[in-house]
Amino acid sequence: MSELLRIEHISKRFGDFYANRNIDLTVERGEIHTLLGENGAGKSTLMNILAGLYQPTEGKIFLEGKEVHIESPSQAVSLGIGMVHQHFMLVDAMTVFENIILGDRRSKGIFIDRAARRKEIEELAARYGFQIQLDRQITEISVGEQQRVEILKALYRGAQLLILDEPTAALTDIEVEGLFRVVNRLKEEGKSIIFISHKMREVLHISDRITILRGGEAVATINRDEMDGQQLASLMIGRELSESHYEKRNTAEKTVAVLDHVSYHKNSKHNGLADVDMKIHAGEIVGIAGVDGNGQTQLAQMLTGVIWPEEGHIQLKNSNVGVFDPLQFIQNGTAHVPEDRNLQGLVSDMSIADNIVLKRTESEEFSKGHGLFLKKKAISAYASEMAGKYDIRCRSIYQDVRSLSGGNQQKVILARELESNPDLLVAAHPTRGLDIGATRFVRDQMCAARDRGVGVVLISADFDEILEMSDRILVLFEGRIMGEYSGKNPPIKEISMAMTGK
Amino acid sequence: MRKGKNSMAGIVVPLLSIVLALLIGAIIMVCLGANPATAMKNLAIGAFGSKPNIGTTLTKATPLIFTSLCACFAYKCGVFNLGGEGQFIMGSIAAIYVTLVTGITGVPAMLLALAAGAAAGGIWGFLPGILKITRGQNEMITSIMFNYIATLLMGVVYTNWLRDGSVPQTQAVPKESQIPRVITGMRFTWGFVIAVVLGLILYYFLFRTSGGFKLRAVGINATAARFNGFPVRRLMLFSFIVSGAIAGLGGSAELLGTQFRLINGFASGYGFDGVAMALIGQLNPIATIFVALFFAALRAGATTMQAATGVPTSVSDIIQALVIVFTVAGMALTKLPEFTAFLQNRSHKNGKEVRD
Repeated sequence: MSELLRIEHISKRFGDFYANRNIDLTVERGEIHTLLGENGAGKSTLMNILAGLYQPTEGKIFLEGKEVHIESPSQAVSLGIGMVHQHFMLVDAMTVFENIILGDRRSKGIFIDRAARRKEIEELAARYGFQIQLDRQITEISVGEQQRVEILKALYRGAQLLILDEPTAALTDIEVEGLFRVVNRLKEEGKSIIFISHKMREVLHISDRITILRGGEAVATINRDEMDGQQLASLMIGRELSESHYEKRNTAEKTVAVLDHVSYHKNSKHNGLADVDMKIHAGEIVGIAGVDGNGQTQLAQMLTGVIWPEEGHIQLKNSNVGVFDPLQFIQNGTAHVPEDRNLQGLVSDMSIADNIVLKRTESEEFSKGHGLFLKKKAISAYASEMAGKYDIRCRSIYQDVRSLSGGNQQKVILARELESNPDLLVAAHPTRGLDIGATRFVRDQMCAARDRGVGVVLISADFDEILEMSDRILVLFEGRIMGEYSGKNPPIKEISMAMTGK
Repeated sequence: MRKGKNSMAGIVVPLLSIVLALLIGAIIMVCLGANPATAMKNLAIGAFGSKPNIGTTLTKATPLIFTSLCACFAYKCGVFNLGGEGQFIMGSIAAIYVTLVTGITGVPAMLLALAAGAAAGGIWGFLPGILKITRGQNEMITSIMFNYIATLLMGVVYTNWLRDGSVPQTQAVPKESQIPRVITGMRFTWGFVIAVVLGLILYYFLFRTSGGFKLRAVGINATAARFNGFPVRRLMLFSFIVSGAIAGLGGSAELLGTQFRLINGFASGYGFDGVAMALIGQLNPIATIFVALFFAALRAGATTMQAATGVPTSVSDIIQALVIVFTVAGMALTKLPEFTAFLQNRSHKNGKEVRD
């Protein structure tokens, strides 16, 4: 085997943050090389550097021994690097054939020599054993077939190195087998493949070598048969249990919410829930661990009435919910810190004061005659009080929420949600994108809410946060609950295996 | 400073647009060989120079206020009702039927006709609204289509059903059922007063009540409104109906106060004029009233200008169009990131703090 790609000391810095730090990597010809890592480990950044979307801050890239500077995606293509993104880059309204020749410069003159192009593509497909219907529209073919179109497109443009970013994420099991056959066939033909995944079973099945990324650094490169899944998982997670800042509790208090065999878009592994059974008690933090896109969004929306179950029941305060509507849930004491602050939580072009009283403008406290006349003074006074209590740093409570930093925006949401005296708090990625100070504040508030007897569901892709905060940990994988663990001395290895589907 | 900056831009941009439009209007006048100062003076005299002239301006402003409030109210809730014209026409059709066909006369007929006009406009707003919230139909397309239906229906009314002899127009509303003038010697009627009061009520509703608060929240971010338990679809439908009713009331007031009969070209252009004025008025009902008055003044003064200086009335139309173009472009400009950066740079140079 000969070396195709060598990366030396690549670093990529965004501001003060290193997304990649000093990474070395080699890919041989005819090799399937897997990049394994958690969310935010730096896999995508590294691949975007190879695909010409980012420029590295430091380091060198060698292709076939020659140093290259990849300055644009089109240059990456001409160097023989083809990337298949997790979300396909296909034009839905065009046919498979048109998508493959899109941007192709082989035809001379202004007309496309369709017959010649077609022949080339058909030969290519036959060579790699692709079954593809060139004249179908993208919308008419399955996801697995769309992926083959992407791969064929890359091959047609002369890719020697194929980067597959989470290629199995959207596929059914049968389609995954088909993909692996294709990938093995490419390998036999001497193509190199970089395979990005965090599903242990697949990684062990397909890879020749595995490089583990953690926190932006390459921790190790190993041959597939050197390690088992358990060892790999602990390398990937790479942490020992540290002392939690928060006291953990065992509660046997009353339940505040029950999901009883709830399913939603059951067969969609990434946007659904399958047979989820869980109880949330008063005075506990239930951490939902898992890699992003395994049903977390749906779980949060299910618990707050935004979507409703296709099967199963939800109980709030020990009675079945009949009407699925956010208002119903709010009136039954549910508070929600949604995953997308600006889209779902805040009316960004309204003031801090307006956002704090958003749900309560009809109350006696803030208006006369059930909303017929808003008491502006009472609203201002209350908002000022809350800005102090929740440490919302602003020049004025009449400032648009849009102009606040993410941390202060989140505090506005907390002020609104926690002051409603909820029984259940659903917090989805509550500290995502926040600085350390704001993160600490949000966590302290959630903990204080728990101590007041609120049942907290903490959904987070940040495993450290789950370990730090949770009294009980549930693992969500492809819409299913994979296991339940105590938050006291949680078995990290077992949990991380569960997160990768084992 | 963000909020201050935005509301500043909301005032500065329209004013600057008006100045620029007048300037270009003046250049055109020069090209036509007229003295722009004289022409502008005559334009102003035509609009405000005498009691009757002011009366004419207010009369011309009345339907514009109604249709611009119609657009304003719907847009505040994030639904784009472009059907103001159709709703206006449906209001006038309802009014003509009440005054000519029911046999009721006098003030009761007038009041009933106004109410019927509002109801008819409300129904004409309800239709695109219900299509949007239940079937996801684009309300801009459907509301425009409903304009055509209303215009053609009006055609049937004045050429067939209520045709007055050989001329394709309806009979006039009987004198005793017309809306009376407020001041003798000035043309404007109580319809103008109704329009202004309506603007104040809408302002109060939008900014001082819980319902208006929710409606605005839906208009800014419907997703957040839904997550926070607001009945988003119901509010959208509500705003469509009210918006239609405003236009419908305007249609009946126009018929009973100014036009008295349906005829080819009735209400033509009012709907889209209203949309433009609502946008120039930054969707603020009170500002919108002033914008409508300004446009009415340009229209009312144009004839005097033409008579005195020979500058054709179409120059006034050009000025109106330029105001719209400049305002829309100006507001788009203030939303560009480059513009924000520019402002920040400048105030940094002045040593002021810009953001929190």
